[in-house]
Amino acid sequence: MKRSTLLGGLAFAATIALVGCTDTGAAPEPTEAGPTETYQVRIAALPIAETGAIWAALEAGIFEEHGIELEILPAQGGAQAIPALIAGDIDFAIGQPMGPFRAALGGEEVRIVSNYANSLASGDSDVNSVVASAASGITSWADLSGKTVSVNSLGAAGDLTIRAAVEADGGDPSTIEFVAVAFPDVPAQIEAGTIDAAWVPDPFRGMVVGAGGTDLGGPYQATIPGLTVLTAFTLQSVIDEQPEMVAAWTAALAAALEYAAANEDAVRAAIATNLDIPEAAAAGITLPEFTADLSNAGLEDLVALAMEFAYFETEPDLGTIVVQ
Amino acid sequence: MRRRLQPVLLGLLGILVFLAVWQLASTVGWVNGRYVPPPTEVFAALGRLVLDLHYWRTIGNTLITWAIGLGIAGVLALVLGTVIGMIPVLRRYTRSTVEFLRPIPSVAIIPLAILLFGLDRESSLVIVVFATFWQIFIQVLYGVADVDPVARDTQRSFGLSAPSRFRHLVLPTALPYIMTGLRLGATVALILTVTGELIIGVDGIGRLLVQRGTAADYAGVYALVVTAGVLALIINLLVRVIERRVLGWHQSVRAEVVL
Repeated sequence: MKRSTLLGGLAFAATIALVGCTDTGAAPEPTEAGPTETYQVRIAALPIAETGAIWAALEAGIFEEHGIELEILPAQGGAQAIPALIAGDIDFAIGQPMGPFRAALGGEEVRIVSNYANSLASGDSDVNSVVASAASGITSWADLSGKTVSVNSLGAAGDLTIRAAVEADGGDPSTIEFVAVAFPDVPAQIEAGTIDAAWVPDPFRGMVVGAGGTDLGGPYQATIPGLTVLTAFTLQSVIDEQPEMVAAWTAALAAALEYAAANEDAVRAAIATNLDIPEAAAAGITLPEFTADLSNAGLEDLVALAMEFAYFETEPDLGTIVVQ
Repeated sequence: MRRRLQPVLLGLLGILVFLAVWQLASTVGWVNGRYVPPPTEVFAALGRLVLDLHYWRTIGNTLITWAIGLGIAGVLALVLGTVIGMIPVLRRYTRSTVEFLRPIPSVAIIPLAILLFGLDRESSLVIVVFATFWQIFIQVLYGVADVDPVARDTQRSFGLSAPSRFRHLVLPTALPYIMTGLRLGATVALILTVTGELIIGVDGIGRLLVQRGTAADYAGVYALVVTAGVLALIINLLVRVIERRVLGWHQSVRAEVVL
């Protein structure tokens, strides 16, 4: 008897509480229908600021105009995207290019179909940079020698370009100890002193610098200015089986990226909504250069650098992997 | 009445002391209040979440994965555990295989799960079912084998049919084991459901937690950790209640108080 009154009370309280609820995750209202031919496309994209371009374009109806019914899965890391492609669960993935290179070397027929975003070739800030704790005394790239430096995932463009930047500055990259630390954990780890420096994007760069840390700048700018941050890739089998869908998607993505490049405010608004962060925080994020064009992506330089630092045993064949 | 209330009061006092120490640690600065926000901030963040339907849908998604996973694992473990446990030859033949497979950490098969099922709930279910299955299966196996030899000899001389042997002899013996397996399994299933959300990105509180971390909303992260804890607590209480109903006759339960 007592229990049922308690349950009833809880149910009542829940009903009252739910009436006052908002719903930030509600599906947007469907808009007017676009072209007759539509393709259902599932992509994996990291839940990061860069994905703001797709969120904004989706809201602006760009994909709908191009006959793409888009579903975005928030993959937690590049390592999950390629198995999901092979499983046939997703059609495309947006990720950093070292993933496809490694998968291609491993025998998977991964194809980069489009660029997505380039880092900033010049300027005071880049989309990501290396920050060091005040206690470490690091003020230059060469100072990183012998220190513990974190990246979000090992063996990718982050640690590769840091090595190159340190070497170019006269340091010894072989003495750097690289560790994998997720971006959100970096400020606390820097403060605790378990790492001396870290490769991070906004807002974590700002948090470290705000706590007295040093910003060494972007390792991309220091080595391959404007190096691509993210590309869109799929499998050869997808291209073979659904060439029209792939064509429609790449056209839609190009238009979406063009829209994003021209409508920074919409991108920032989409970031604030989708990542559920304050408008002010979204306004402070350094956005990359959104572009579908792979010609200035620096992929050749990246492969050359990876070979120089022995990241790969054999050279990935860009002529096969890139199909734009 | 007083004897029943005392443990509840003591439990509440324990929570209050814990919260007080946490508050003190964050505000005084034993730990950095930015990365370990005090409970006042965490519960404020939780308060904001609770007013958002998205939060409840997220919890719903976690519970759906949990329930399906536990259900599949439970049925499989019951059927296989009973069959293998009742037939000694099968037990001997499967023992080495079971002992080999059982210790494999479920998270280690995540890449395989994604390769098979992609980034959806199915992948999460693979790891949930795998981990939960062994918890229940082992208990069923031992439970079924624990039949009192005298009782077994007695039923033999009475010539009981297989169904009634199961109903009157095996089931009463195995039931406490099964309930233990279920209780362990229910918790393990929740752990792996959240793991799947954290690592694979299946919709649920784990994914929301990662998202709050990415947004540098540390109070939100802790609010979701609290959510996961409360979920585990509720699940545990529910299983205890079921256990009491099912095993009310059994001596292990008769003397016990649920909370």
